[in-house]
Amino acid sequence: MAKILVVDDEEHIRLLYSEELSEVGYEVITAADGYKLTERIDKEKPDLIVLDIKMIDYNGLDLLQEIRNRFYNLPVILCTAYDTFKEDIKSIAADFYVIKSFDLTELKKKIEMALEANIP
Amino acid sequence: MFEHEVNPENIKKAAFVVAIPSYNEADSIAFPVQQADKGIQSFFGDIESVIINCDNNSNDGTKEIFLGIKTNTPKIYISTEPGVKGKGRNFKNLFKKIVDLEAEGVVVVDADLKSITPKWIKHLGEPLFQDFGYVAPLYVRHKYDGTITNSIAYPLTRSLYGRRVRQPIGGDFGFCGKLAQVYLQSDTWSEAIANFGIDIWMTTLAMNENIPICQAFMGRPKIHRAKDPGADLGPMFRQVVGTIFDMMIKFYPFWSNVKWSKPTSIFGFGLGETEMPPPVKVNKETLFQKFKEGFNSCGHIWKKILQKETVNKLQEIRKMDKDQFDFPTNLWINVLIDFTVAYRDKLWIEDELLDSLIPIYLGKTLSYVKKTERMSIRDSEEFIEEECIQFEATKRLLLKHWNGSKPN
Repeated sequence: MAKILVVDDEEHIRLLYSEELSEVGYEVITAADGYKLTERIDKEKPDLIVLDIKMIDYNGLDLLQEIRNRFYNLPVILCTAYDTFKEDIKSIAADFYVIKSFDLTELKKKIEMALEANIP
Repeated sequence: MFEHEVNPENIKKAAFVVAIPSYNEADSIAFPVQQADKGIQSFFGDIESVIINCDNNSNDGTKEIFLGIKTNTPKIYISTEPGVKGKGRNFKNLFKKIVDLEAEGVVVVDADLKSITPKWIKHLGEPLFQDFGYVAPLYVRHKYDGTITNSIAYPLTRSLYGRRVRQPIGGDFGFCGKLAQVYLQSDTWSEAIANFGIDIWMTTLAMNENIPICQAFMGRPKIHRAKDPGADLGPMFRQVVGTIFDMMIKFYPFWSNVKWSKPTSIFGFGLGETEMPPPVKVNKETLFQKFKEGFNSCGHIWKKILQKETVNKLQEIRKMDKDQFDFPTNLWINVLIDFTVAYRDKLWIEDELLDSLIPIYLGKTLSYVKKTERMSIRDSEEFIEEECIQFEATKRLLLKHWNGSKPN
């Protein structure tokens, strides 16, 4: 069972994602901000991260760079309410960029693709 | 008198090298050399460094201009034998020199660059001292600049080898000293690689060696001799595409196990506002005519090497007028799959086969131009990303054809 870390400062999003992703068989852990995120990744060893971009006190794109530099192949999906962050070149270090929605079909599809991705 | 090497300061060792390949670049090489020197002095001042011009024995005074430029960084000039040409051959000399110098990091920049700044050296070089072994450039390019990259090199290397390197034939990049050894020892050298196939070959080998790759954002567009995609492509198309196909044959055990793709780290922020590239003009009429002419000049080859339904689909779009014209992405993918298999199976003379892909590629380019003409650069990038996902999703078809059936 793949373990997914959801990093989002909105509680209702964390609850929604936990519920919906658990229902399809993922183990979900959550974080409300980016505080000591890389240490948490080291400790919990998630298989994939769903990362919000705009959080109080934390910029998801900066966190993405930190994650990518330390965990080269760890899949990260940026999940945001704003389409405009795609303009930021840093966003291409993510596996996928998904616009937040209460319908999680797109997110689930991208999670599946990112977990399936394999380079020998 | 011919000199293979001129090393005025008798440099024997250097940890960091900036290399500039050239052939008859006397009127342009001074600027990148000066910017490289500033970059080295500003960002690698405490590291033993050298600037190397690897040249094809230019007869326009490139060597004299290069050696005559005043720099704080020592310089070395190396050349192929008189009459021996090819960008890849310049690189072979460079690889040997890098091994001799025991260099840890190497940055390569084109000799005709007009937009290079000292920070390009920083961004391409620094990751090599931070656990990355290959640094590809990331520029904002005009949507019609680099159409071989957009339609073939990027989507194919990404879907084959699983790593998203947006500019796999960018011309400006960095690599670690260890890779120079790998390049020297590789048994995949060919005439195409000795020429313009060198860039895609280097990127592909880095991917197959599982070398950690990152992309460096250059901030400024690459200002160079951009070409109208409808203009004569010459041997460059054959050399680049032929090298991609050759590498597919060689590295089948690797790419057949790759599924989907993964991104890379991105370096080089804090450059302020991103500068937009100059426009590239495209002659849609020329693209359209050359696509249609292909049926007369290459139709017999296509009939031999393409699946019947692919030929039928091409015939279908041939009948469209220019305003209606559309080349679906899945048709383009099917064409490439058939070409790769035909190339491997030697169903036609190699050069003629590769040349016969050009009219189809120009048709695909016309379709891309039409679909993206009202799009921003960002939106056209999204369009290419969507096409790449289609390439990745169609990989099982590639594997099926590669492992089995011969056409028709």
